[in-house]
Parts: sequence; structure tokens; C-alpha cells
Amino acid sequence: MMEACTQLRQGDWSQLLEVIRTFLSLSLFSLGGGNTLLAEYHHLSVDQYCWLTPSQFADLYALAEAAPGPSSMIVGLLGMGAAWREGPLWALLSAYAAELAVLLPSTLLMVLACLSWNTLKDSPWRLAFERGMGPITLGILFSVGVKILQTSNHGLPAYAVSIAVCVLMLRTRLSPLWFMAVAGLLGGLGVINR
Amino acid sequence: MTNLSPPPNHRQLLIGMAQVALSSFGGGLSAWSQRIVVDQRRWMSDEEFLTGLTVARLFPGPNQINMAVYIGAYFQGLTGAMAALAGILLTPFSLLMALGLIYFQVHQIPAVDRVLAGVVAAAAGMALSMGFRILGSYWRDPIALALAAATFVALAVVQVRLIPLVLVAGPVAMAWYWPRPGSPGGVASK
Repeated sequence: MMEACTQLRQGDWSQLLEVIRTFLSLSLFSLGGGNTLLAEYHHLSVDQYCWLTPSQFADLYALAEAAPGPSSMIVGLLGMGAAWREGPLWALLSAYAAELAVLLPSTLLMVLACLSWNTLKDSPWRLAFERGMGPITLGILFSVGVKILQTSNHGLPAYAVSIAVCVLMLRTRLSPLWFMAVAGLLGGLGVINR
Repeated sequence: MTNLSPPPNHRQLLIGMAQVALSSFGGGLSAWSQRIVVDQRRWMSDEEFLTGLTVARLFPGPNQINMAVYIGAYFQGLTGAMAALAGILLTPFSLLMALGLIYFQVHQIPAVDRVLAGVVAAAAGMALSMGFRILGSYWRDPIALALAAATFVALAVVQVRLIPLVLVAGPVAMAWYWPRPGSPGGVASK
């Protein structure tokens, strides 16, 4: 179905520039808090540039969700994966470059928005953007959920765990760390395979 | 209203946002941000903070990072935004980088991979819940649901890429929801 994905051999610098360019260009499309970009991250880092295998991507997503702080920091981990074969120092450099690249455009826009909010807030553009982008964000989030689900899971037990966690996330206020801990235990016991 | 403190300088922004990041280890970044910025340090009133949150959610970028940028820019402009951004990111990002370095060293060990297979299944459930979480607010708007469904089909079935999709669907949706005098909710905001 899919041919083996092999990362192009590139010089260290051109690899780094590719990472920066990729995340710079995505920054302003992170609607609805950033998670809307996850499927795109998957496409670029797994299918297009072959920085990561599908299960590595799923692992990094879980790592970013489990670690404290905004889960959008997954971009740093993707940057790290892109340059891992160049050694840990390059991987770290690439990680910081990726995170800065994805944050720079949205941060600059946010500063402008903050400074001009008094004129922006009653503008028809603002109202149209707020109402129009909502439904699109909704559609994107569902497609992201399905994509992550397909990438992460193989086999019935894994899907059962995912659906149980989804329901628990919506119905309870328990910390998701508990769900990940229990599922990790189940995985360690060999109940969940991939 | 309660008395506000004098506007924070760059150093205070950096430290305050680092405090928000550290306090929220374990979750609840948004609540901690409000508690520290409004209640403890009295930099902003509740109204000012909530306005900031509205802007942070409206514009592209991760909400909590946008909020830190807003707070920094509100008091000290662009450089203040950078100080606040550094404050909110430095500790959690450094920690995540350490975790990442460990991950790439050990992920091929079979026992580690088994545990990760479980954690990943749980994380996928969290990803799946994101859409359902906001579905409720669109339930009564069939046009919104149709737009969302079309977006979903384009991305998940037809495999359109995100950027062209947003560039086409965005203007269409904005045109539909453009505030018109006389249309329901056309004048007042929510």
C-alpha cells in the first residue's frame, strides 16, 4: 500500500532550513488552539519528509500530551526527530528551531491583535472570522482525531481503550494522566499491541 | 474594583509566566494563569483577563501561549510579549526536550514499546474527544454542521491538505457568517 519512506540524505543545514520553513508556513493555520495542525504534522513528518515512523509519531504525540505544559510543544519533538540521526546536539538545535518557527508568526500576529483590539473587536471581520472558523475548526478536529486514532492503534483492545478514554474525557473531570498511566500498565502487561 | 498593581516590567513578566508554567505542572494551565495574573499579582482585572482570553482563542496559535503573549504585549509591547513567552515556555519545553532525548534513546527496547503502545491508545482517545468537546455549541446550527462535515470529508476522505482547505473554506464560511443588519445575531456579539 505504501512504499517504504526513507529520509532524503541532506546536509545538516538544509535539513534544518526545511524544518524551519515547514513550521513557519503552518503557524498561522493553527486554528482553535493548535491541535488542528496535528494531522498536518503527521502528514509532513511521516509521509512527506520521512522524519519519523508512524508509531514514533504516535509516541511523540502521547509524550507531549503526558508532559506538563502546552501539548503544542510536540513541534519541538518533531524537530528533534527530524535531526535525530545527526546526533543529539543537532536534534536539540532542530527542536528549538522548529518550536520557534511555529510560534513566531502566530506570536507576532497576537501582539498586533493585542495592541489593536479596541478597533478590531467591533469589526465585521472579527465577527465573521470568529463565527466562520468555528465550524471549520470542528471539522478539522474530528479529522485529526480519526487520523491519530488510525496512526496509534492496531487491534481491537487498543481501539477499545481509545474509545473508553474518549468517553471518560467527556464525561469525567479526571486528569488524563490517570488514563495514560492505566493504559500504559495494560500495554506493559501485553494487553495492547501494535 | 480592587486596586491593581503597577504594570509589570519585563523581568516580572518573565518570572510571573514562569510561575504560571510551574504551578500548572499536573494540569489546569488556564486556571493557574488567571489565579496568578488576576488574584495574586493583580496585574489585570477579571474583565481585562477575559478579554485577553477571547483574543487568545480567536487568533491562531496555542491558546495558553497566546494568552502569555497577550499579557506581555498588553503591558510592554513586543519585547514584553517575548519575555512572557520565554517565561511560560522555558521550563516545560526544557523538560519535554529532556524527555524527548530519553525517548529516542530507549524507544526500541521492547518493554518500553509495550508500555508506549498502551499510553498511545489512551492519548488517541484524548485526540478523539477534542471534536466532541466543542460539538455541543454547534448543535443548533445546521449550516455550521454542514460546514464541519464538509471540512471533515475533505480532510479525512478526499485527503485535501489543511492549508488549501482553510484558504478555500475559510472565506466561504466568513462570507456566510458576515454580520448583516437584520440577520439573527447580526449586530450584537455573543
